Amino acid sequence: MKEKIQQLLDAEKKIKLGGGEERIAKQHKAGKLTARERINLLFDEGSFVELDKFVEHRCTNFGMEKVEAPADGVVTGYGTVDGRLVFAYAQDFTVLGGSLGEMHAAKICKVQDMALKMGAPIIGFNDSGGARIQEGVDALSGYGQIFYRNTIASGVIPQISVILGPCAGGAVYSPALTDFIFMVENTSRMFITGPQVIKSVTGEEVTQEELGGASTHNKVSGVAHFMDKTEEECIERIKVLLSFLPSNNLEEAPVFDTEDNINRIEERLNEIVPVNPNKPYDMKEVIRLIADNGYFFEVQEYFAQNIITGFIRLNGKAVGVVANQPRFLAGCLDINASDKAARFIRTCDAFNIPLLNLVDVPGFLPGTEQEYGGIIRHGAKMLYAYSEATVPKVTLIIRKAYGGAYLAMCSKDLGADQVFAWPNSEIAVMGPEGAANIIFKKDIESSDNPIETRQEKIMEYRNTVANPYIAAQRGFVDDVLVPSMTRPRLISAFDMLESKREGRPAKKHGNMPV
Amino acid sequence: MRKFIIKVNGNTYEVEVEEVGIEKEAKSPVAKMAAPAPAAAPAPTPEPKVASLKEEKKEVAVAPGQEVIEAPMPGNIWKIEVKVGDVVKAGDVLLILEAMKMENEIVAPRDGVVASINTTEGAQVNTGDKLIVLD
Repeated sequence: MKEKIQQLLDAEKKIKLGGGEERIAKQHKAGKLTARERINLLFDEGSFVELDKFVEHRCTNFGMEKVEAPADGVVTGYGTVDGRLVFAYAQDFTVLGGSLGEMHAAKICKVQDMALKMGAPIIGFNDSGGARIQEGVDALSGYGQIFYRNTIASGVIPQISVILGPCAGGAVYSPALTDFIFMVENTSRMFITGPQVIKSVTGEEVTQEELGGASTHNKVSGVAHFMDKTEEECIERIKVLLSFLPSNNLEEAPVFDTEDNINRIEERLNEIVPVNPNKPYDMKEVIRLIADNGYFFEVQEYFAQNIITGFIRLNGKAVGVVANQPRFLAGCLDINASDKAARFIRTCDAFNIPLLNLVDVPGFLPGTEQEYGGIIRHGAKMLYAYSEATVPKVTLIIRKAYGGAYLAMCSKDLGADQVFAWPNSEIAVMGPEGAANIIFKKDIESSDNPIETRQEKIMEYRNTVANPYIAAQRGFVDDVLVPSMTRPRLISAFDMLESKREGRPAKKHGNMPV
Repeated sequence: MRKFIIKVNGNTYEVEVEEVGIEKEAKSPVAKMAAPAPAAAPAPTPEPKVASLKEEKKEVAVAPGQEVIEAPMPGNIWKIEVKVGDVVKAGDVLLILEAMKMENEIVAPRDGVVASINTTEGAQVNTGDKLIVLD
């Protein structure tokens, strides 16, 4: 028996070394951790249990029968993160370049199935050269099965993808189907076709980093949600994100005792918005002043910065924030902002996270680029996502709320449960300048002093229409708040809404414009 | 020369019309004022083409390693806060673009020296127009 036990221990030891010392050293030299090091950083110490470590490939093509692939190039299993059950898989680049074959995929599928059954988040560390070419269509089938499971699990359990090396070709679609994508500067790469293919087809020369690095996908394409300098920081960030998410769609996000005063009055909020409505300010400061302990966990920080998305806690409970940023593109809604917000709203709704919408929006961004790019169908996603969401929705109008953009930022009519406004708000079809030109065209033209008349009419319009009280008279705004009192009122509103239940007619699924 | 047949009260008239070019309309005092609403002055453009937008952009010489600051949205240059040769830090305001009734601060994306300024105060710019080049 002793001998048998020793055999087992030796086999396990060998598997744990993956592709061997030499390849591990190479991985470290490239600034990357190994699959098992990543897993150990993520899970609570000693909690990780590996599954399927003895699995091997069955391929006999092209001399593959002689090739050993410990654990078939992917580590799978479960453990706890801050005491909560989490499933994970990590591709091992030291074993056949982390390439995905039939059994490698089967291991990932197994852990996906388990995560879904147990209703726990799954985290995938991607670091792979792509499909194992020798295994042909079996490898392709493997990808297909992973994509299918990603889709079935979507909206049931949180799925997080971490790109810590190459992730090219079809492989990118598994992360793309998940809820959040993390990337690390200089080592992560995501693209459908690599620089060589692009050069041979279109003649464009582009480096791998420019084409599919963390910066590209966080700032330009909007594919990724988070970017960090090191893998350690990235994995820490994953843990913070998990703290804002429930384990599945039937649970609530964990509640923390943040020890922040729920009745905190913030005098700074009374003066944060400039008197001149043309002056920008930083909406993130508003968010931090309202949040528990001033903590704001931003999602897609670098993409479409004209809209801000992320999580805060109010009275210890997770709340998703969608806010216009007047400092960027005047806070206008455009194609990218609509996509970013719609995606975030649906993520929150899927996982029972209430929504707080902070509105200061002058309108949709004008221009042929936007119209030709389909702002109509992209903007519609926001309206759809807000209308569809059944989680508590609280909207706070901070300054401008004009036209279609006012509606798109979750007005009362799209189902906001509570709408508040600060006293300087302007809620109207369009801004005073534009509106005065149209409504008072004749008065201005026939005046002896058109410039003065125009200014008078602008003021008249601002005083009679562009304020929160007209909307409040009709009940579109539930209350006008003294800004400094915002935090207690929001906490009270979310507390009141906690038992909210809202039904929708049974259907297969809606047909959101995409 | 174009011919039209016009019927008025049952009488048919054949009319020849020659186009002599559109005279510029004398601007009313209203139109002369600052910041007309964007929708108020739609210049009649013959056959909108997607490509035409890009063709109109002024060519600005950019050396490798230089950073071009482009207009993020259509608007008017309200104020230019820097001069050629100024040393700027990331986050410093380079110019203010008045758009959507907002004074949008366009800031330096990184530390550098202003190599050239390719716009003037009051100029109307479009998305992607090259405004400032940083060394």
